[in-house]
Amino acid sequence: MGKNLLAGFKWKHYVNYAGVGIFALVFTIMSLTTGLPSSTLYLLEKIAISVILAVSLSLVVGFLGELSLGHAGFMCIGAYIGGKLSAVLEGVLGNGVLTLILAIIVGGACAAIFGIVIGLPALRLKGDYLAIVTLAFGEIVKTIFRNTSNESFGGTLGLPTPRYDKKTLFIFAFLMVLACLAVTQNIIRSKHGRAITSIRDNEIAARAMGINVTKYKLMVFTVAAFFAGIAGVFYSYSQFNVQSDKFGYNYSIEILVMVVLGGMGSVNGSILAATLITYLNTKLATMLTGEMAVLQNLIYSLILVLIVIYNNAPGLKGFREKYNFGILMNKIIKKKPEHEHHEGDDSAQWHRIPTKIKMDEIISTDIVVKDYTKPDRANKGDKGDE
Amino acid sequence: MAFSKKILSLVLVAVMVFSAVSFVSCGAETNYAANNTEFYIGVSGPLTGGAAIYGIAVENAANMAVEEINAAGGINGMKFKLVAKDDKHDATNVSNTYSTMYEEGMQVSLGCVTTKPGLEFSKLSAEDNVFFLTPSATGDDIPKVANGYQMCFADSNQGAEAAKYVNELYKGQTIGVLFRSDDPYSTGILAKFKEGLDSSITLTEANFAGETVASFDAQIDILKGCKFIFMPIYYDPASQFMAQAKDKVAPDAVYYGCDGLDGIDSIDGFDITTIPQGVSFISHYNSQATEGPAKEFNDKYIAKYGKDSLNQFGASAYDCVYAIYNAMKEIYEADNSKIYVTMSADELCELLKAKFNGGFKFTGITGEYKDGVQSSISWESTGYVNKQAIKYDVKAPTAQ
Amino acid sequence: MEFISTLINGLSLGGIYAMIALGYTMVYGIAKMLNFAHGDIIMAGGYAIYVFLLLSGNPIVAAVGAIVMCVLLGVVIEKIAYRPLRGASPLAVLITAIGVSYFLQSIAQIVFGSAPKMIIVAQLGIIKLGGVTIDVSALITLACSAVVMVALTCFVKYTKVGRATVAVSEDKGAAQLMGVNVNNIITLTFAIGSALAALAALCYLLKAPSMYSTFGSLPGIKAFTAAVIGGIGSIPGAMLGGIMMGVVESICNSVPVIAPYTDAIEFSLLIIILLVKPTGFLGKKRREKV
Repeated sequence: MGKNLLAGFKWKHYVNYAGVGIFALVFTIMSLTTGLPSSTLYLLEKIAISVILAVSLSLVVGFLGELSLGHAGFMCIGAYIGGKLSAVLEGVLGNGVLTLILAIIVGGACAAIFGIVIGLPALRLKGDYLAIVTLAFGEIVKTIFRNTSNESFGGTLGLPTPRYDKKTLFIFAFLMVLACLAVTQNIIRSKHGRAITSIRDNEIAARAMGINVTKYKLMVFTVAAFFAGIAGVFYSYSQFNVQSDKFGYNYSIEILVMVVLGGMGSVNGSILAATLITYLNTKLATMLTGEMAVLQNLIYSLILVLIVIYNNAPGLKGFREKYNFGILMNKIIKKKPEHEHHEGDDSAQWHRIPTKIKMDEIISTDIVVKDYTKPDRANKGDKGDE
Repeated sequence: MAFSKKILSLVLVAVMVFSAVSFVSCGAETNYAANNTEFYIGVSGPLTGGAAIYGIAVENAANMAVEEINAAGGINGMKFKLVAKDDKHDATNVSNTYSTMYEEGMQVSLGCVTTKPGLEFSKLSAEDNVFFLTPSATGDDIPKVANGYQMCFADSNQGAEAAKYVNELYKGQTIGVLFRSDDPYSTGILAKFKEGLDSSITLTEANFAGETVASFDAQIDILKGCKFIFMPIYYDPASQFMAQAKDKVAPDAVYYGCDGLDGIDSIDGFDITTIPQGVSFISHYNSQATEGPAKEFNDKYIAKYGKDSLNQFGASAYDCVYAIYNAMKEIYEADNSKIYVTMSADELCELLKAKFNGGFKFTGITGEYKDGVQSSISWESTGYVNKQAIKYDVKAPTAQ
Repeated sequence: MEFISTLINGLSLGGIYAMIALGYTMVYGIAKMLNFAHGDIIMAGGYAIYVFLLLSGNPIVAAVGAIVMCVLLGVVIEKIAYRPLRGASPLAVLITAIGVSYFLQSIAQIVFGSAPKMIIVAQLGIIKLGGVTIDVSALITLACSAVVMVALTCFVKYTKVGRATVAVSEDKGAAQLMGVNVNNIITLTFAIGSALAALAALCYLLKAPSMYSTFGSLPGIKAFTAAVIGGIGSIPGAMLGGIMMGVVESICNSVPVIAPYTDAIEFSLLIIILLVKPTGFLGKKRREKV
């Protein structure tokens, strides 16, 4: 038995659990023994929230191949609903673990419901059209919460929410990161995951193979929204006050940047990028004060543009292969460079991701549709070709 | 590139753990200010983004005050320094700016420049008991913590004052109001204004949302019949409204606002005399003062930073620094063992609270200046400020 | 009467949105990228008008100067930031565009400061027609956007370069084989889009004379929405979408109770329209194949 279990065990599948786990464990021990300064605790909370957001968004963008600019909208729903619930329950159950868990479940579920609602147009729309619809959704949610009355959701002043004990909140947040990882990876590495990536790579072919595209698209949107909602609940617990301004499209874009810089279709990349970007943004904001403050965005934007161009410019391919981080590290530790180019089952390379986002390739040539080449009319989505 | 990623993650973890460990030596209850060589005044405000002008004004003016105090020798040679950190007008960033400043040794604070992030700041600073006197976060809830005080009038106070003024002059008439629906400053003042309004007065409301207003056409259409328009908004949208409405609203109408309107007559490129309507506002400071301490401040500020960012935020911050300095100085003069550079924020907070609640009076540049005398400022134990407001008529309606 | 003036205001606002949307739509049609930095070109145009107005004092010189500046800016951005990424994933280009947008905003804050600048280009006054008061600026905006649309349509239909533009947007490879210099056409598109942004900035300033570093983002998003409603890639579609957005915004704003929800209503409209017509009003239906 044990042997069989080990036979399927691949260390690389668990490296991210181990990484996140050790990372969280070190800080947990420090927090509970010697104590950590508040700034570190707040930073850890922010990192955990960003990682949950980035991993869940990478499911939509990296694996399903749909561009979503409304992730902050789902988070907004989770933050407001979960925050309101915790504020109400605080009087009954106290501000403890039980309230936290209830808020997480309810906040996540509400966001998930909206995930289904937004997943529905996703069945009809593709690429940039879907992107603008998700963006619109985020803005609508934000506007609605902003215009609520003071008694219900706080209106312009924001919803006052109970703050969880800062010494332990980040531990729960990191546990949730692990849970989010487990769910995401299990989806990706199952047959569902292969179905989802096949939709990304070629929807029509996937359909032809008998994959239920509707089901999988809805599933991905719902799961992603669920975790975004949970990130929102943690956000509300990390604040005394939840304000809707936070959840505009700018924040959605920030999450998207994490996913894209981490490498599309790479969960580990998303985790790293989310951690690094959150860390950098936080440190830049406090390091550059006074007259220098205005340089924050300048530095951030330059780094962003340079990294993207370095990583993706077709013209820089040779340069990239000559000078990159792996080779640099290999040189430092004097190891022979790895020549084998192996792709994990969840690491798609980004120039290989075609697709819906790239409309021009799809439409390049017209073929005369003869009877025998007509697509299967049983599938609804293919209607309206003529 | 799985290998490089593994290495990267290891490096990352190492860096983060290291940066955390380096802090561990100072536990939760330590005095972060133990190594200070100057008194540390911290302020969190928007230094970038749409609201940056307010944060920059506060930073400039507070720096000016600190430099003057230091040049004059501080408190018996003990100097001050001011640190401003950027919260981008977003409450999410406040935990970062606040905790960083606190751990750098912040002993006393000017709180937050704006209300929204200020709500977060109040609660966070209450946990560590750090005294703050905010120059410009007008929200009613800001000073609802024991360690919080305001230099500006609270929203509800301004709304009630405005209602009183309107009740006297416009009984039985219809007046208009223009407010920004997504700004707690605007909605906060308006709520109290409506409460205090005489029942014989009919109110025509128009509103807008967002920093970017494409055009005020719709709002002008709603308000163009009104002879009196109350504007609890900031001077930038107000000036846009006025510029667009000058030919449509009756030329003898009056625009009336609160402290947000201060600066309406010093906007680069906007000549207020080109609009026929009257403009006046009630505030605690006048950026066009022709006499008194306010004028001195204005001249100094303009010489140093230009007139672009001269507004009541800065003036109020200047007063905040001086108020804190005066209070500390008075405490020091009463008992010179109590004030020292390495004292903890908590210690200083208790002293300052006792001082501010115990009838501390301060004369600065904000508040009314009449017959050569600047009125003094005091604080209630709730943290709200007591001072004489200035009603400032920017211009009377131009007779046609 | 009230309604007529609301409608005219909406039309003129829609004209501005339409001009921005035209820029979006053309760039999208050619480069297949969402140019998130487009809104910030408007901001740059506004500041350019300010500078030239200070230098010359003449609104027409300022307008021309701003258009030239914006064209240069658009072309330079395309060369430095977007061209190296030609052929890369569109998402990479999208992220670069966002980076460029942040970059322009912070440069604007460094150069012009954070205080909003009041920029009065010209005093135009109003016209009274019966009971309706109309801003002269609204009429200018309407005229401008109409001229722009006609000119663009003619350009695309009747000139060689215009037809080359269409060819590139249909199929880059085939166009190249037919002797079209694709790079030049893409540069030209960015130039036209940026010129329209400068024009939009001018109309904006005639209406609401205030400019600051983050000015462009919301009009940019709204215009993008307009372009999508009209069918992205389609010139009359952008016009139609822009006008629609402007009128809806104007009507919503004129009712105080629903005014705070204006953005939500506009965006809901977008979602509804896309659900009914997934390619927008005048968008081309495109066949998918394996």
